[in-house]
Amino acid sequence: MKKVIVGNHAVSWGVKLARAEVIAAYPITPQTQVVEELSEMCASGELKARFIKVESEHSAMAACMGASMTGARAFTATSSQGLALMHELLHWSGGGRMPIVMAEINRALAPGWNVWTDQNDSLSQRDTGWIQLYCETNQEVLDTTIMAFKLAETVDIPVMIVLDAFVLSHTAEPVDIPDQKDVDAFLPKRVARHKLDTGNPQAFGALTTPAVYMEMRLRQQEAMEDAVGALEAIDAEWGRQFGRTWGAVETYRTEGADLVLVTSGTVTSTTRHVVNELRDQGQKVGLVKVKMFRPFPGADLRRVLAGVKDVAVLDRNISPGHSGIFAEETRAALYDLPAARRPRVHGYIIGLGGRDVTPATIEECIQKTRDAASAAVPEREDVWVGVKS
Amino acid sequence: MSEGRATVEIAHGVPTIAVSTSSTLPNRTGSWKYIQPVYQDKTAPCNAACPVGIDIEGVMNLLRLDRVEEARELLLRENPMPATAGRICDHACQGSCSRARFDEAVSIHAVERMLGDLPGVTRPAPPRTRKEHVAVVGSGPSGLACGYHLARLGYAVTMFEADPEPGGWLRFGVPEYRLPRPVLVREIERIRAEGVSIQCGVRVGVNLPWEDLSRFDAVFLGSGARARESFEWEDQGLTDVRPGEDFLHEVRAGQRGRTGRRVVIVGGSDTAVDCARTALRLGAEPVVLFAGAREEMTADAEAVEEALREGVRFEFFARVVGMQVSEHADDEQALEAIRGMFDAPEGGATRPRIVGVACVRMQPAQIAVDGSRRTVSIPGSSFVLPADTVLTAVGAEVAGDVLPADLHRRGYVLKVDAFGQTSRPGFFAGGDLVDEPRTLAHALGSGKRAAIGIDRWLRTRAGEAVPALDEPALRYGGSGNMSITRWRGDDPVRRVNELNEVVAFDQLNMAYFRHEPSMPDHHRAPGESGADFGESNLGLSRDEALAEAKRCFNCGVCNDCELCMVYCPDVAIKKHPSGHGFSLSYKYCKGCGLCVEECPRGAMTMTREGL
Repeated sequence: MKKVIVGNHAVSWGVKLARAEVIAAYPITPQTQVVEELSEMCASGELKARFIKVESEHSAMAACMGASMTGARAFTATSSQGLALMHELLHWSGGGRMPIVMAEINRALAPGWNVWTDQNDSLSQRDTGWIQLYCETNQEVLDTTIMAFKLAETVDIPVMIVLDAFVLSHTAEPVDIPDQKDVDAFLPKRVARHKLDTGNPQAFGALTTPAVYMEMRLRQQEAMEDAVGALEAIDAEWGRQFGRTWGAVETYRTEGADLVLVTSGTVTSTTRHVVNELRDQGQKVGLVKVKMFRPFPGADLRRVLAGVKDVAVLDRNISPGHSGIFAEETRAALYDLPAARRPRVHGYIIGLGGRDVTPATIEECIQKTRDAASAAVPEREDVWVGVKS
Repeated sequence: MSEGRATVEIAHGVPTIAVSTSSTLPNRTGSWKYIQPVYQDKTAPCNAACPVGIDIEGVMNLLRLDRVEEARELLLRENPMPATAGRICDHACQGSCSRARFDEAVSIHAVERMLGDLPGVTRPAPPRTRKEHVAVVGSGPSGLACGYHLARLGYAVTMFEADPEPGGWLRFGVPEYRLPRPVLVREIERIRAEGVSIQCGVRVGVNLPWEDLSRFDAVFLGSGARARESFEWEDQGLTDVRPGEDFLHEVRAGQRGRTGRRVVIVGGSDTAVDCARTALRLGAEPVVLFAGAREEMTADAEAVEEALREGVRFEFFARVVGMQVSEHADDEQALEAIRGMFDAPEGGATRPRIVGVACVRMQPAQIAVDGSRRTVSIPGSSFVLPADTVLTAVGAEVAGDVLPADLHRRGYVLKVDAFGQTSRPGFFAGGDLVDEPRTLAHALGSGKRAAIGIDRWLRTRAGEAVPALDEPALRYGGSGNMSITRWRGDDPVRRVNELNEVVAFDQLNMAYFRHEPSMPDHHRAPGESGADFGESNLGLSRDEALAEAKRCFNCGVCNDCELCMVYCPDVAIKKHPSGHGFSLSYKYCKGCGLCVEECPRGAMTMTREGL
């Protein structure tokens, strides 16, 4: 069935098809539509889930954790300040290995107060032990939502699906909605590996001494590493069943490219358009889309970028005092390549706080890369594009 | 390990997540606290507001569990006349009900009426365990209550009633459509069944000398206030201007009740409304004249509402300034024809007749210093209300002439102490003889209070120990009426750390209640009920009344809802082994206060005591 729906509702449909059992959320722009639609699905009975209204995002995550520990499939959604308020419990749910799924609608953090898109909110939660998957289209959002539950439950790590505020969350696109029975075949009921059970009394999250804490972190790290392969397998299975795959990293027209742009989120679509135009002009330009940010698919990036002369990373975020975060991670991943095959990495800060990213913005990034490539040393680590002088 | 049980796999010598299979018992979180919760049953506002002194909340709580028979017994401990009170009491309880702040008050009167109307259980009168004998003068509600409670305390009781039948004001003053005779008869039978002997046709002080009562160990005076303040225009030889009480008495006694077609009733009391509705049923056209606003009437607001529905006309802010009299009434012929339908007045057409009531319009003046509102007349607003009969309902005074002269008085009423004892030791009084609002509830309450007083006095006289309860401890919430159950010390309800304090609305937690409007009483259609003396208010069915009882918040009293137990993060709360209430382990309670915060009914308190 094809429906024209906004990105937020693509999340809701994915959650419904995944048969989430507990949904706890607190509304915040631009996430509200996600849970609004779900609450109506619960009210009408088409989704047999317990919908819990809570008084804050902190409580939303706490409720999801409780639900998850009983073996239920739990979901929440938030944005920006709401995600920041959840921070402590993101560590609890990540470290507690609870396969919760959350939709995170990228919104800039205050101050100044801003409801528009950028990635600093989700990237600030980089080290909480959550998988992060960035989406480009509404179809990808729906497919990823369903796959996220399977991924989370495969490796016992919570998954954050990330989509840009308004540009994706509130933009309608045709979406192919799979049949419930097909989704049921792909994603059966959750079988929890550890859960609260009155027949087998156990307490979780208790005091862990230095004698064992480090081993528990090692296990978390191993599970994170496993998640890369797990996503690949799940994505392949999705492709076999539904005819679409997304990949942790996607390459677009990179064959023979001397300059490759690295993007995430909706900027990718605009970049595809620019790449097409420049290719038509004979320029050897390509694109790599990073969908999976945690765990970071460094091996994949080394494979697809090895030998490329210049890599331009477009960051809709900034780690103040350092650089764009995707650029930083890409540099670190590519450093392991032999010097002869190691690209030069150019970082660009664009589109913060919802500023439009147009083809002209991306063309400017490409031009600056070409200019810098002829210089011996880049002028600075990251270049801000589209700012007033 | 059973099949399907989740297992935690081990790698690097550790499980996936931090798991503990030992219990939390070694962690005595109780040592953290500097303040702690206690279970503390308190007083519901209805209990404290009831002039009878009924454990209303307790009754509702038993009905919540469908323990109807026990609920009735609990009610009958404090109130011998629930079928009557459920009908005609002005239910101050509902005015204080905290549920009114949430949606609508619980219809307590309808629940009481339902319990009062349940078929009685025949059982032998309680054994006479006391050797003393008490005389009760008057069989109105205060006397009936006093005699009933004394009999249940084991005393022999003889009641003297001047009228041929018992009931006092309930029999002669309340119209049939509000209190059907069979209901009253059943209630009095219930009191008789407790062993109270009622001798009718004996007016103490007239055909039985007061001295003859010296053979009794104590006396309760409950002879009421049948004589009245005079209404200035009654003394002018106008037989058409009459006390409303006399009119009601005539009708209750089976006479037709003399009125003309156009009846003007002066006053804002229950008697005024009863006169109007009775006159309406006799075919007259009643108008009630009241000098103030509708809400200032002392009459029961629902009775006023019913009267309006039936077609009684009210003139508010109107005061009588004179009677218009004619030797030859204008519509003499027509009037005679109508009077023929009723009992024709004696004296024929020659005597002066009322033709109208001269009135003046009033308006509210500013609030007086004492907070009361005064009304003043509007200059030039006089008007005449045509009238054939004027019924006055402006108050009653004590029939002082037949009471022993040595009893100290305060104005029209007898001086009594907190337990109803008059200035003569062994003589107690209640009802309209004492300084209290003249309502059924106050009469029933004063009779009970005097029964406690008599028991206390007789036992003290006999050199026996009496409960060392001070007066506020006997009163619900310290200021309500006394509880005979507290006096007897045999409360069937198990209470935890009872605190005799009223729980306010803001001590309740409304998060746990659903909006659910109150069920209104059933009524006969106005056209139907206004035409005869059949009961007009039909109350609620048993199931409807039970549903009302289940709307009760159970203010201040633990009703085992278990929310404290659910919320306790330290699993420090367990069901009490008795099946009622909870036990709290202070070894583990860390004093977070969640239980107190969540308790929907304010039955828990945080305290520093004991720490």
